Amino acid sequence: MFIEVSGLKKSYTTGAVKTEVLKGIDLKLGKGEIGVILGPSGSGKSTLMNIIGGVDRGDSGKIFVDETEVSRMNDDELTEYRRGDLGFVFQFYNLIPNLTVGENIEVISNISKSPMNIDEVLAAVEMQEKKHRFPRELSGGEQQRVAIARAIVKNPKLLLGDEPTGALDDQTSRGILHLLQQVNEKFGTTILMITHNAAISAMANRVFKLRSGKVVDERVNQEIVPAERIEW
Amino acid sequence: MVMALQKRVMRFLKENYRRYLGILILIVLGSYTFVVAAGLAQNLANLVTTFTEEHRQEDLSFRTDKVIPDRGELEKAAGAVIEDYMSFDAALSDTLTLRLLSATERLNIPAVTEGRSLSGPGEILLDPAFAEANGYPVGSRIEAAGKTFTVAGYMSLPHYIYALKNVNDILSSPHEFGVGVITRASFAGLGDAERIYAVRFNDRTQSLNRQAVELRERLRAEGITVSDWIDIMNNKRARMVWASINGMKTMSVPLPAAMFLISCLIIAIMFWRMIRREAVIIGTLYAQGYRRRELTRHYMAIPLLLALGGGVFGSLLALPSIEPMVMAMVSYYNVPVPGIKLSFLNVLIGILTPILFLGLSSYLVIRSELKRSPAELMKGDQQKTKVNALERAFKLERFKFSTKFKLREQFRSISRLVFLFLGVTSASVLMLFGFTIMNSVNHVFDASDVYQFAYEYSFRDLQFGKAPEGAETFNAGKFYPENNEEMEFYITGIEPDSRLVTLTDLKGNPIPNKQTNITKPLAERMGIKAGDTVTFINKEDGKTYAFQIDAVADSYIEQFIYLPIAEFNAKMGLPEDSFMGLFSTKKLDIPDEKLSGFKAMSELPGAIDEFMGQMVSMVVMMTVVSSIVALIIIYLVTSLLIEENRNTISLFKVFGYKRREIRSLILNSSTLVIVAGFITGIPLAVASMGAVYGYLGKMINLVLPPIVSPFYVVISFVAIILTYQLSKLLCAKSVETVPMSEALKAGTE
Repeated sequence: MFIEVSGLKKSYTTGAVKTEVLKGIDLKLGKGEIGVILGPSGSGKSTLMNIIGGVDRGDSGKIFVDETEVSRMNDDELTEYRRGDLGFVFQFYNLIPNLTVGENIEVISNISKSPMNIDEVLAAVEMQEKKHRFPRELSGGEQQRVAIARAIVKNPKLLLGDEPTGALDDQTSRGILHLLQQVNEKFGTTILMITHNAAISAMANRVFKLRSGKVVDERVNQEIVPAERIEW
Repeated sequence: MVMALQKRVMRFLKENYRRYLGILILIVLGSYTFVVAAGLAQNLANLVTTFTEEHRQEDLSFRTDKVIPDRGELEKAAGAVIEDYMSFDAALSDTLTLRLLSATERLNIPAVTEGRSLSGPGEILLDPAFAEANGYPVGSRIEAAGKTFTVAGYMSLPHYIYALKNVNDILSSPHEFGVGVITRASFAGLGDAERIYAVRFNDRTQSLNRQAVELRERLRAEGITVSDWIDIMNNKRARMVWASINGMKTMSVPLPAAMFLISCLIIAIMFWRMIRREAVIIGTLYAQGYRRRELTRHYMAIPLLLALGGGVFGSLLALPSIEPMVMAMVSYYNVPVPGIKLSFLNVLIGILTPILFLGLSSYLVIRSELKRSPAELMKGDQQKTKVNALERAFKLERFKFSTKFKLREQFRSISRLVFLFLGVTSASVLMLFGFTIMNSVNHVFDASDVYQFAYEYSFRDLQFGKAPEGAETFNAGKFYPENNEEMEFYITGIEPDSRLVTLTDLKGNPIPNKQTNITKPLAERMGIKAGDTVTFINKEDGKTYAFQIDAVADSYIEQFIYLPIAEFNAKMGLPEDSFMGLFSTKKLDIPDEKLSGFKAMSELPGAIDEFMGQMVSMVVMMTVVSSIVALIIIYLVTSLLIEENRNTISLFKVFGYKRREIRSLILNSSTLVIVAGFITGIPLAVASMGAVYGYLGKMINLVLPPIVSPFYVVISFVAIILTYQLSKLLCAKSVETVPMSEALKAGTE
């Protein structure tokens, strides 16, 4: 398995109150697969994704990504892990406002060992013509396309999406999901994304349902629905 | 490697150019002040040291009652070079005196700065300020002491660097007094010229003071009575220039350091804020694999660029200013200028110091923010919801909404509050500093409340009898405290019912002259109170005398102890009705040859006006600089305030607040801090003046009172408030450009 999470626990303490966010998560995702994590707000989806992505740490449990134990890595190793193998797509795009579209992608291609050609990536997300625009000149969907281009320019093994369509309308969301599916097919990138929209799970190989910090359901889809055909 | 990211740096600078320009100006001012002040001090010190060494400045001078019989023998015994020269004060008009000095070869050798040296009698070398002020170009003729001299050139004299007529004067005026050097042969016929001995000790490693004491004892042992003994350390003609040099040296460190510190503080605060606002981007970059050092390097680029730009610009701008400034100082003093040296080291310090200061402060801020995990950073800059201690202490709920809002704005950010407060305080101190100096100098020179006479005559020999009508007798001696010969002052015997010297106590009540009174500066320097008995050593006879002080006089004119003349004469063993000088309300008919000194009080205002003219330009410059500093600081803080309140401003607009109301809530919230900063600046200015004046006292034996005039306080306050209004005006546009969509968008995320 490409991703193997076992017994992952995480809690936060605010003042005297301790909140257990993850209460022993087990999860597996194969190489080149698309995984979707479903769950309501506060179920621990983002925390789980952050820990898998090496931007946060669990309290206990093990995480292996491509046979490397992420849960044992120190800060520097985590940085190298994120730098080499991971791409992130966020709900609110997190583009750098005073850099153009092309430069936002260049920011990541600059630190990659074998980056893809920026123009090719922009062509893949159909944003070639807007290369010199600033984020404020783009629509939400366009900004998310740029965010995806930024995430895939380094040709990552794993692409993590934190509600990538959460801030978009239905039509635009379908376009973004289609794009992610294309990335998966074209580059063989493993994709794990979180969403609270159950309909999106139809495009995934594996679906994990989280509730109150636990995986309450896990499903393997026999038939993968193309993103543009998903209805909600 | 991170090329694309670095493109942001220039865009950041462009987007917030006003703010960064403000910081840049502070850094430029810091580097400029340092390089100019250090360059000025070093050049002046170098010029003066080279001049006084090469032209053999005396260590002391004195007059004698008779010619020293075997000077060669005395030189050997004292281990010194002793050379005599002649001096004659020629009155060119009622208000213009030219002191003619004979040319010397071994000590105080004149340095010809223009024209040529003397080639024979009938020629004169003039001090350039006097020549310029009174229109004597090289080659012209001058009538003095009944003779005609041709001006062969201009010169500088090591013992007349600052051309004071009397050694106890403070101000020189080339329109009233100047020095000329003529050949010794030209003194023929000037029967009443004085002979002065100049001495320079050979052993420069031994205490010059001790060697001087030994020489005096030796002279006394040989039966030679000396008078007008002036050690170079107490000779304002030679030492005044060092007060300026050391003043510059002293100013070359704290002033730029204050500028750099202010810049560091504001940069640190601004970057801390900026990084907090950038938290999501930093978190995103961090999450995508950027290393801490790469992000640190990226965010350090702006402060380092500003520091480098400001440092280079300020230092380079300073270089061409050094020469005209040295020349301006030298025109005030009389020192030859063979050349100006520009120090590469100063430029390097001027550039590297801001880089070091700003680099370090921003590095610490950036590192502290980057310690947070990417996940934490991506949550964004979370607003503090806690009410801090300051807010609680003020119990804001009792105020009306607008007051509550304004106070809360200040209290919510202690760092911003502290910066604004410190910034306004330091600008106020700087401004009040200038005004206080001017006020103090004014106060010192305004002798009208103490001296009611118009002329002061000093005799060569002891006089006896009574003073003519309209005049009063006095007798005086130079004294110093034990183990501190450098600190000399006069003890003067005056008539017990004197109406020409009027002293008042600290409450403004008149003090009788039939008791022993000490002037306030001397009392303060030596820690003497009324009722104390103090002992001092007489410079003339080396004996110790005790005095009981009855009152401290609130007068800054000079450092004096006054006592009745009869008591003074009795103590010194002088005849009862003897005196050395006269104070007079009208001009007396006394032959010149009987006098060793003459002072017309009417000459003082001219010199004061000249000095005050320079003073006023300096104070205006200080006020302008401090206003610029205040403007930058207030502007920076106000723009930060707006930046951090964009959402609130936007919401106010959505709610229907009028422009005026929004401006008042946001822009006026700093008023209280600015007023508090200014008020705090007043005692700080007085305290720092006290320290500077204490230093001046040690340097040139001049004591100034740190007096803050309410008038100048009001002027400074008006200047600060005007600056505040200007910065609000500059920021008003930023408030207006905040769109309503800002709040609406924020609500959706």
